[in-house]
Amino acid sequence: MSEHFVHTHSAPPFRAELWRGMKTSLPLLIAFIPFGLLLGSQALQKGLSLGEVPLLTGLNFAGGSEFAAVGLWSTPPAIILLAGVTFLINSRHIIMSVALTPYLHQLPRKKALLLLFFMCDEIWALVLEDIQKDPKRRFSVGFYLGVTLCLYTSWVLFTFMGGCTGNMLGDLTRYGVDMAFPAVFIILLKSMWKGIRTALPWCVSLGVAIAVYRLFPGAWYVPAGTIAGIIVAWLTVRNV
Amino acid sequence: MIQLPALLAILAMAFVTYLTRVTGYLLLARCKLSPRTLALMDIIPGCVLIAVIAPIFATGDPANLIGLVVTLLTATRFSLLPTMLCGIIATGLSRTLLG
Repeated sequence: MSEHFVHTHSAPPFRAELWRGMKTSLPLLIAFIPFGLLLGSQALQKGLSLGEVPLLTGLNFAGGSEFAAVGLWSTPPAIILLAGVTFLINSRHIIMSVALTPYLHQLPRKKALLLLFFMCDEIWALVLEDIQKDPKRRFSVGFYLGVTLCLYTSWVLFTFMGGCTGNMLGDLTRYGVDMAFPAVFIILLKSMWKGIRTALPWCVSLGVAIAVYRLFPGAWYVPAGTIAGIIVAWLTVRNV
Repeated sequence: MIQLPALLAILAMAFVTYLTRVTGYLLLARCKLSPRTLALMDIIPGCVLIAVIAPIFATGDPANLIGLVVTLLTATRFSLLPTMLCGIIATGLSRTLLG
């Protein structure tokens, strides 16, 4: 398979970019596959049907909120509660899409709105890292779709398979698999490092997020830390 | 196979999630951003990422701490795959040995 692609140097850039996106996202499957299986099996235990699992993970496609929703699931489901918790957990996407928007302006509106449907944390982070590495700061549709193709299909597929097989993995944290997500984000932070001017806002984000996480229940630490960091960045960038 | 109340709940969640993903774009797509705003946009993604993983830094659990330190140290030298593997193995091992 790989040889076939190695020799297609004359392939259109889109195809090469698609392939590059898929390759870049491949390591993330170490986390996506076991957590997908786990979510699917938990969903069935909580009363979702096998058909409803890929519907949830395919239409919502935000792992954190899906684990929360499955945890809160009842029959019949409490729709307002589920939608509210989903919003709270996924509100960080608002800031994420703000950060991505400057690079989307050359895309037709419809296309951008379609692409944003798939913008989960990991896709957003990989794509933004890719943009920041490019001297011309270009957004590559092919790369975005390649990452999406790999992560989206495996998430939907493996959550569904988890529903079919039930929990065969046991407690994933015993094996340390949950450390995969911080590892991904730490690597991405490393590539987003822009010298000392990034240090202060990031440290403030981290400090405030830790404090809020310790003091308040729920996911408030994400918006609190982020907003504190943005305020510091706003103040320091002004003085440059 | 798919019950109507479950379908409605899933659609409500999907709608809310999609809304969070397009809000920033819908607000900003028509604006011309100043160089200063663009400079800010270089810093903001890191603020989000670091806030998302803050709980692991807040840990009091020694196994988590060992896992985190190994992950951080590996990340300074290596790429994604080796960092993930070292982080997972270190965390899993210390949980087994200490737990």
